[in-house]
Amino acid sequence: MTIQTNTLERESRQNKRFVSKQTQTAAKYLRRLCELSGAPEGMQPFVETLQRVYVDMLGIVAPYSRKRVGTYCVMAPQELIYAAGAVPVKLCSGNYTAFNIGDDIAPRDACPLVKAVAGFKQTGLMPVYEECSMMVVPVTCDCKKKVAGMLAQQCDVMTMHIPANRQDEDIDEFVRQLYTFAEKLETVTGNPITYETLADGFAKVGYAQRELSEFIRLKKQMPYLVRGTHAMAIMNAAAYMPADSWAAALHRVNVSLRLRAAAGQTVTSKKLPGILLTGSPIVFPNLKIPLLIEEMGGIVAADETCMGERGMYDPPVITDDSFDGMIRALANRSLRPCPCPTFADNKQRLYRLRQLIKDNHIQGVIYHVLRGCLVYDFEYKRIEEELGKLGIPVIRLESDYNEEDVEQLRIRIEAFIELIKLRQAPQKRTSLRTGF
Amino acid sequence: MRSRTRIIITVLVCIALALLAYFAYLLPFYEFLTNDYDVSIEKLFSWEYLKTLVPLIIIIALAAVGIVLIVRLRKLLAKADKSTSHFARARTAKVTSAAPKQKPALFMVVRWIVMIAFSFILIFGGLIFGLGVSSLSIPILSCPWNTEEMTSSSCYYLSHLYELFELPVSSILLFFASTLGFIILLGRAICAFVCPMGLVQDIMDKLRRKTRTEGLAMNEKMYGALKPIKWSLVLIFTGLCFAGGNFCNFCPMVAVSPILAGISTSLYVSGFIMVFVLIAGFFKRRAFCTVCPLGYLMGLFRKVSLFRVKKDCTACTECGACYEACPMGIKMIYTEREKTDVTDANCIMCGECVRCCPEDNALSLTFAGARIYTASRKNVMSGYKPLQLESETHNDNTDKHT
Repeated sequence: MTIQTNTLERESRQNKRFVSKQTQTAAKYLRRLCELSGAPEGMQPFVETLQRVYVDMLGIVAPYSRKRVGTYCVMAPQELIYAAGAVPVKLCSGNYTAFNIGDDIAPRDACPLVKAVAGFKQTGLMPVYEECSMMVVPVTCDCKKKVAGMLAQQCDVMTMHIPANRQDEDIDEFVRQLYTFAEKLETVTGNPITYETLADGFAKVGYAQRELSEFIRLKKQMPYLVRGTHAMAIMNAAAYMPADSWAAALHRVNVSLRLRAAAGQTVTSKKLPGILLTGSPIVFPNLKIPLLIEEMGGIVAADETCMGERGMYDPPVITDDSFDGMIRALANRSLRPCPCPTFADNKQRLYRLRQLIKDNHIQGVIYHVLRGCLVYDFEYKRIEEELGKLGIPVIRLESDYNEEDVEQLRIRIEAFIELIKLRQAPQKRTSLRTGF
Repeated sequence: MRSRTRIIITVLVCIALALLAYFAYLLPFYEFLTNDYDVSIEKLFSWEYLKTLVPLIIIIALAAVGIVLIVRLRKLLAKADKSTSHFARARTAKVTSAAPKQKPALFMVVRWIVMIAFSFILIFGGLIFGLGVSSLSIPILSCPWNTEEMTSSSCYYLSHLYELFELPVSSILLFFASTLGFIILLGRAICAFVCPMGLVQDIMDKLRRKTRTEGLAMNEKMYGALKPIKWSLVLIFTGLCFAGGNFCNFCPMVAVSPILAGISTSLYVSGFIMVFVLIAGFFKRRAFCTVCPLGYLMGLFRKVSLFRVKKDCTACTECGACYEACPMGIKMIYTEREKTDVTDANCIMCGECVRCCPEDNALSLTFAGARIYTASRKNVMSGYKPLQLESETHNDNTDKHT
């Protein structure tokens, strides 16, 4: 009897400690985010969402009647989830406290993202995880596969096989999987998926993507109208907001950015080195790298990460206006344009980076690798070579979900930004001289 | 073993096609008592015109029956397929609302207008405007048996090369000059803008889209299987006259153009084939164009024609929307990563790839170097409108977990 109360007491103490540590870290990063200058007007709903989920530890804002479906990758189409009358929640985690718990469950070399997910599920304290009726885990790497098995002990989980290539037959196979996924969604939510509901799903996500493309267009403008870290926070908030309210909030941001552009306001008067952040996913509150870049005098001008812009960048194009045609459009959109390193041949990522460099006036690339994220680490070599040909400096930053490496990261980022500034210096002088 | 059976099947299909073409005159689809080639505007409004339309009506009815049967059959197949059986009803149910659709592009509107105008001219033009330019040959499948075509179509002499060389030299020269001239000037854009056969198929495709019937999802393998059929059709098209046959008994266009012009001409195998073309065109956009022998011959000149499809290879995300949209199944357009010119022998310049491309400037159609139609994300996303917020209409769960 006493032993039992002791364990119960200990557990509740542990839980309390978890909650307080978790909320503290999240609040700290939110504060740093808000302290950063140049946040666009209308940014508030996104910050509030992150605060609600991580600091207040509440569920997402959506009608009760809607079931929540957790997703662990952008390759699980949100349109289908909306079609089933549910709301998708992206559950990839960046939480340090949950990572520490997951560290004891998952093997040492597993990636921190997966450890954090395992940790959250273990504690059972995060409402966004607990209120999910179902989770889908596209198997993009070995860690995801095993975490799917772990999650299945507590929740209804569906795994999706991601092929190694994007040939026609792979797409056909994926279409079949989407049908299975849709069937599963129907049984979980109890709502039938029909042509009409699927069209509604497309309309919802499509409008969000339309606002996002406008946001990206504004973000490209030189001098910069918005900081990339704020953009990343906006994209992270998309994980916990229904697409329609996210799009409405982003619309207000776009309006304010257009006003900024008209008034000639920019984020900062100085010419800052534009940095492209790419590599492993960067999930709130693990914003240390983008925040360090901005604090060290650079600017995150673009990001190519799946919790960032890339997550919702590619629109599905309906070429055959029928139920099957829409499912095919989703399968196509999920696989073909996706520059995820899970695919064997991922040369298209190089072109994607090149286009981002051109569009966003990038001067340096920071390649972020989460410790244990092998697929992204594999691609670094190739990308370094290709960017070397373009004369764009690139560094690889490996980090984990804790704050022990912050100082080391700070030194490296600072040195990298100094290097870029040195490279632009001669041009500046010549341009000044011609002025006289 | 599998590949061997495939080869055997292809060879058998090609031989069957050749035999069908050769003995076409033995298989009448519809025979008039007398073939009447005289037409006038008055005839178009007379009782007799309805009589000439009878075979066309039969063809359309047969095609309709075929389409309904195939839709029914597919319903059964969808039910039988384990992975999709659950959605067999969703796939075939009547649709009440529409999926988001982008605004029609100016290019597409122009294409439809030009296509309809040319088809009208090629069928009735001679009656209205006279036959002043009838010695010019455009390489299209518009039937030369229709004596009221405003310009003649090159398909007749290309499929009757034997007769071509019996003509006076000036006629031969004019034939080649006009045919080659059009090919160089327009290339296979003729297929998308001028050819009446294209219009017939595009109308079938429009019908399918309007009824929201599921199309045939093609893949590389299926397009690969069509290739030998196309080549054998090219051989039949150019070679049949030397073997003593007549391609016109086999050509599906005979069943449309002359009949609409009021010419009562007996139909042989061509009538049967037209039924197939209509059905295939319904489920697969421009199905006949993928095997069209004349189109293939025009495609040989793609290096010199002025219409081009250009690609910005860096902007492309390889999303494959162009490939999915392409009625000709050109895969190279999205896999190409080096060349800026992605004009393919099969490309008919319909602009569908540019319409579906979500990346700004990634694809464009050019004429003599000038861009006439460019891809833009704004156009692709134009169908998505702001929605009423759900969270504003319902109570949210703010206090659920406090």
